[in-house]
Amino acid sequence: MILQESISTAVDAIRANLMRSLLTTIAIVIGTASVIAMVGIGSSAQRAIDDSITNLSARTLSVYPSRGRGSKTVNTSPLVIKDADALIKDKEIQWRIAPEIRGSKTLKFGNESISISVIGARENYLSIQGYEVEQGIFFTERDDLARKRIAVIGSSVGTELKTSSKALVGKDIDLGGVTFKVIGVMKSEGSSGWSNPDEQIYIPLLTAADRVFGRQRVDSIRVEVPNTYSPEEAMISIERVLRREHDIGPGEENNFRINDWSQFTDLQKQATAIFSALIIGIAGISLLVGGIGVMNIMLVSVTERTREIGLRKALGATHQAILLQFIIEAVTLCIIGGILGVLLGSGIYFLIAIWQDWVFTIPFSAIFGSVTFSACVGLFFGIWPARKAARLEPAVALRYE
Amino acid sequence: MSIISVEGVTKHYSLGTQTVEALRGITFKIQKGEFLAIMGPSGSGKSTLMNIIGCLDSPTHGSYFLNNQEVSTLDGDELAGIRNKEIGFVFQNFHLLARNSALDNVMLPLKYAGVEKAEQVKRAKAALSQVGLESRMDHQPSELSGGQQQRVAIARALVNNPSILFADEPTGNLDSQTGHDVMQLFHNLHSQGQTIILITHENEVAEEAQRTIFIKDGLIESDIKKEPK
Repeated sequence: MILQESISTAVDAIRANLMRSLLTTIAIVIGTASVIAMVGIGSSAQRAIDDSITNLSARTLSVYPSRGRGSKTVNTSPLVIKDADALIKDKEIQWRIAPEIRGSKTLKFGNESISISVIGARENYLSIQGYEVEQGIFFTERDDLARKRIAVIGSSVGTELKTSSKALVGKDIDLGGVTFKVIGVMKSEGSSGWSNPDEQIYIPLLTAADRVFGRQRVDSIRVEVPNTYSPEEAMISIERVLRREHDIGPGEENNFRINDWSQFTDLQKQATAIFSALIIGIAGISLLVGGIGVMNIMLVSVTERTREIGLRKALGATHQAILLQFIIEAVTLCIIGGILGVLLGSGIYFLIAIWQDWVFTIPFSAIFGSVTFSACVGLFFGIWPARKAARLEPAVALRYE
Repeated sequence: MSIISVEGVTKHYSLGTQTVEALRGITFKIQKGEFLAIMGPSGSGKSTLMNIIGCLDSPTHGSYFLNNQEVSTLDGDELAGIRNKEIGFVFQNFHLLARNSALDNVMLPLKYAGVEKAEQVKRAKAALSQVGLESRMDHQPSELSGGQQQRVAIARALVNNPSILFADEPTGNLDSQTGHDVMQLFHNLHSQGQTIILITHENEVAEEAQRTIFIKDGLIESDIKKEPK
């Protein structure tokens, strides 16, 4: 009975000073909105990262050459095509092997001449990288074995040669003094950070080795491992094969290194978690500030309504009834702030989810938790003003001017 | 049977190092059904006496029996209960809740009494009818005239069937005609057996009562009973 009355009184009091009440709750709104948006964004980002690992049927490891430090024999043998072939022959794991030769050459077409990054690769390069050909075709294993002088160009190579990439299909170009025929154009991928696939040219691996660069040394070997194996198992197998190929004796160090790209996603996950924790910390401060704001406005409200409190006491309101009325008012104010915050935070998260193409899910616990926390802020910061109200002497309060 | 019995009541306030003796030993009785006025200039202790009889404050010394119950020793919440059930207050400036309807204002003491909602509405409507405002109960105070507002306040004072109707300068903010109407309402209530205590400094208002107690310097100066008209 008293509770119901207190709630409706609280709502009335908030409505009576609507603008002031809403301004008071702004910090609570911001705090709650930050929590909701960050929890949502955090979980979506986490999910996106998890999906990128688990949804792929395989994960990719990369093998790079490195000098064996402190080894007795100065092991100059770098990573070569033969190593890749040895990995292919090893049937212990159903992996796919993609050796890659990289280098820079001058590309000429007509009167134009540019320096370009050349990728010598096998036909599986496309599917392992997840790239697509937009026009024409990619080279095949046969083309590779025949060391054909054919090339697929990145989507913006044509523009650099003052023509269009599509117009170059079927044309002859000059790559480092060797004439190549363009057979396809890659779909635009965008820069990946340290390299831009759109500005590269792709030729068969053996063509690159024998006709362009004149070396058997490869710059990297990508190993795509099915998800049925752990990256650790795969690493051990790669090590076993390559140590045998490179004749590395027991106790000697590897002259190659293996990178697991999923390590980066772990880092990314950690970074996301730290970022979320930071924002939630800021949200906590915001809620604290909001609570102090609510306390301040409640103190003002108690002073303004001294005569009303006196009257209520004269009519028989007990200490507890007045205490309850003002605590409920503070809590209601904070719950309203919390709900507005949930709406604002969800809105922000929704827009970001659309932009990032994420699944939009806010855990109910986050909504419930943040609104409950706001209510607790109201409870905590409402107690002092409410006690002040409840302790007013009715005779004095009634005559307060 | 006396409804109020005040025996040797004093009230001291400390203002800094000074002690102010607002009441210096007041003794009187009020019988059930009396219509009494308490008069006195400002600073006489009249307001202090009213606070004590109205259970808004406790005496420093002496005892106060209301309905044969000693109330001077009760704590704040017990006094709140007494105010709620035994005393109906009418104030000079009405003291209505501005954002509530007349009906809600009248229901307020019943809410604090823990009366059921349906019963609250029923009794509040009856009280408003008693003061002739049954057609105005959904109006907010700002939509009512001063006299109507005071009648809402009287309905609120009556709604819990108090032993005493306590009116502090009830006509102080009203024009003379409206004030007269309000006094007429008090007379009607008195004729129905309601005990009424008026606090006033106006002679004309005090004239309406059957008995007048004059307070001066914290003591009773005179206690005059008129013959019933």
